[in-house]
Order: sequence, then structure tokens, then C-alpha cells
Amino acid sequence: MDNRDWDEKLKQALNEGTKVKPEDKEDVWNNIESQLYASHSKEDIIPMKRKRGFVKLVASMAAAAILVIGLNTQPGLALVNRIKEMFDPEKNITQDIEGSREEQNVQLNEGRDAEYVIYVDEERYEFVKVGDSDRIVPNPPLEERYPEVSMEIRQVSDKNPEALIEEMEALLKEEFADVTVPERVDNPVSGWTVRGLEGNSWDSRLVRVYVISNQSQGSFVITQRYFLEAEEGHGARFDHMLKEFHIVEDEDE
Amino acid sequence: MERQLIGEIRDGNKDSFRKLYEAYSDGALRTAAGIMRDRELARDAVQETFIRVYRNLGSFDTDKPFKPWFYRILVNECNRLLRKQPRVVSLDRVCDEQGHQIAGKDREDYMDLYDAIQSLKDIYRIPVVLKYLQGFTEKEAAQILETNQNTVKSRLYKAREMLRKKLESGEGRVGLGQ
Repeated sequence: MDNRDWDEKLKQALNEGTKVKPEDKEDVWNNIESQLYASHSKEDIIPMKRKRGFVKLVASMAAAAILVIGLNTQPGLALVNRIKEMFDPEKNITQDIEGSREEQNVQLNEGRDAEYVIYVDEERYEFVKVGDSDRIVPNPPLEERYPEVSMEIRQVSDKNPEALIEEMEALLKEEFADVTVPERVDNPVSGWTVRGLEGNSWDSRLVRVYVISNQSQGSFVITQRYFLEAEEGHGARFDHMLKEFHIVEDEDE
Repeated sequence: MERQLIGEIRDGNKDSFRKLYEAYSDGALRTAAGIMRDRELARDAVQETFIRVYRNLGSFDTDKPFKPWFYRILVNECNRLLRKQPRVVSLDRVCDEQGHQIAGKDREDYMDLYDAIQSLKDIYRIPVVLKYLQGFTEKEAAQILETNQNTVKSRLYKAREMLRKKLESGEGRVGLGQ
């Protein structure tokens, strides 16, 4: 059989083997319709503009103003203007998620003690402050059958990144057999990273840690927790949010 | 025509989305069936694909062709569902006995070949489905699979060789693991 015959036979075999039942087509449409058009329609198409961003900016500016109060003779308007110039309340970013390029609207959130800001994809996540760290978690929460998915941001004020990444590596080795050697990275943040992986099944837990300088004597430790199958989904989304992580430095300090 | 439809869908026009569905669902269901080897999973993949397409239309560049973009989402969705499945799957021919233009011995031969295609590993089977079912060029298939054209060319060549051997050894319906 020559190549042309083969090509024709392959086409014919696939055409024969994948015939579509009309009821499948209609059932699938009905499911799509019920998901997309039951209560809303074009609002589902991303990107969309939000109106609550301004309130967040005000909140952010107010907290930042408290931070430097007493350090600046005219802390109010000058700082407000500076923060406003530095950070938009929301922005659109373009990201590659599972092979698809998508534009995402992200919202400004202010970290603990207003020492950093991060833009969060609030379509899918929520920024919460728990104990001594901040966490970005799925919203709505995932079903219980999935391993934990979160990104924790914590500041350690007295240890530099080189020391901390070794500690993180040691901690991961207590929990995982497969731990990478710490390496320097420039993306999504400039610092160090190490990764621990539980196994090779779809729900194997994966922890990736980034450690970056806090621009002083300490570090920020960013710990992403998800599972193997979520690496290109939640993992990629966390990394894209991290690209919008900014340390707030007070110029008057 | 697609550009206009996409604009209308972005404006919330449900009829336009239905038109897009009519234009693409048959090919999508066939392709998903060829990749997934399971009718129910194929339906799930197509359903999720259209929902993702709808939600991401805002980021689609209308200066570019829609079909490869659509199929990239479909193949990614199929891969996502495949990763969730046990590594050994049973063959589930998507078709029933109705609506076939070929009958008798010829049809049996084609179904042997189809079974042999289905027994190929994912990395060989998916390029075969894209090229021979959807008519994508090797370049387009490479874009959809996010790999280079030579890789696709090589996988297609190896796939054809494996199929020849399977058919010569009468292996079409056996050896169906990943």
C-alpha cells in the first residue's frame, strides 16, 4: 500500500470510527447552555471590568498612609498621590494557562502591614490574612477530594534568602522524597526556588517555595501548594500573580 | 464570518454562539472521540471546551484563525481529562451501527485500522487524529500541540509504521494499553 492509499484509509477509518450521534450533540449543547445562559451571559466572557476597584485603592492608600504617619510632615495627600501613581486598583494581565492565552483582570491587594502589594485574580481566588501570613486560596473552595491549593506569603525579617532557602529545602525533604536542588530564578520573582513533589499521580501534592529579599535584612517566603495535575492551572496562575508582587518601600524611612 | 460571529458572541448573542457550536461541534466530538477513546469523556471534553472558548473569547485575537485556537483548547482539555484516567483504558467505539456508508468486509477492515489507531500511545495518536480526521497540516498540528513541526512529522511517520506492523500482525484489536 503506498502512502496515498494509507492516507485515504486513515481518513476513512477515523471517519467511520468517530461517527457522532445526534443526541450527543444536542445533549452537550443543552449542558453548555445551562451553564452559560442559565442566569447570565456575556458577563462570563473574560475580561470584564469591575467597579469595586476604587474602594480597594482607597483602603490600600489609607493603610499605607498609616504606615508612614509620623515620618512625613505632610503624609496625607503626598503619599496618597504616590501610591496612586504606583499602583492601579486593578489591571489586565495576559497569561498562558494550559496552553491558552487569556487576558485576566486582577485586583490590588495589600499585604500584611502594607509592606507589599499583590494583584490577585479575584475571579478565582481570595486573599485572606491568617495568623502571621497572608494566603491566596481558591474561591469558591475546591472540593475535599482535591489536595490543598494555596499560595502563602510570609515575611521573615531576620534571615536572608540564601539562609532561608536552605531551611526550606530541609523542611521539604522531611515531607517529600523528590525535592529539587535550590536554584536562583528571575521569573516570576527574582530570588530562589525549591520544589517538593509527592509522586506521579494526578493528585500528588506539590509544594513550590520562592524566597526573595525584602530589600532589607530579611526575606519574603512564598509557598505554593497544589497538586501535580494543577501545575499548569493553579500553579501557572499563582506564578502570574507573583509577577505582580511588589514590595512597598517607604522612601522617607 | 467567524469574526462577525465572535463579535456577536462577545456582545452576548446566544444565537451566534449556537451557530458557532453548530459549525464546530461535529468535528470537535469526532476529534475528542479519536483522542479520548471513550464517548462519555469525549462529550465532557467538548462541553468543557466550548465553555472555555466562550469564557476566553475576550482574549482571542480575531486577526488570527479561529480553528487552530479552538482545537488547541480542545486538545488541552482532552489531555487534562486523559491525565485523570487510569492508564489502561478499554476501547469504546464511538459509533453504533447506524449511519455508516461502508458495509461488510470493508467496514471491518476500516474498524480494524481504527482500533489500531486507538491502540497507539497518546503522543502518536493525537497527531494522527489532527491530520487525518481534521485535515490540519503538520505545521498547524505543531501549533496546536505546542511542539515543533519536525516532531509532528516524526511522530506521524512512526505512527504509520506502527499501524502497518499492527495490521500485518493482526494486532488491530489487541495490545490496547497506553
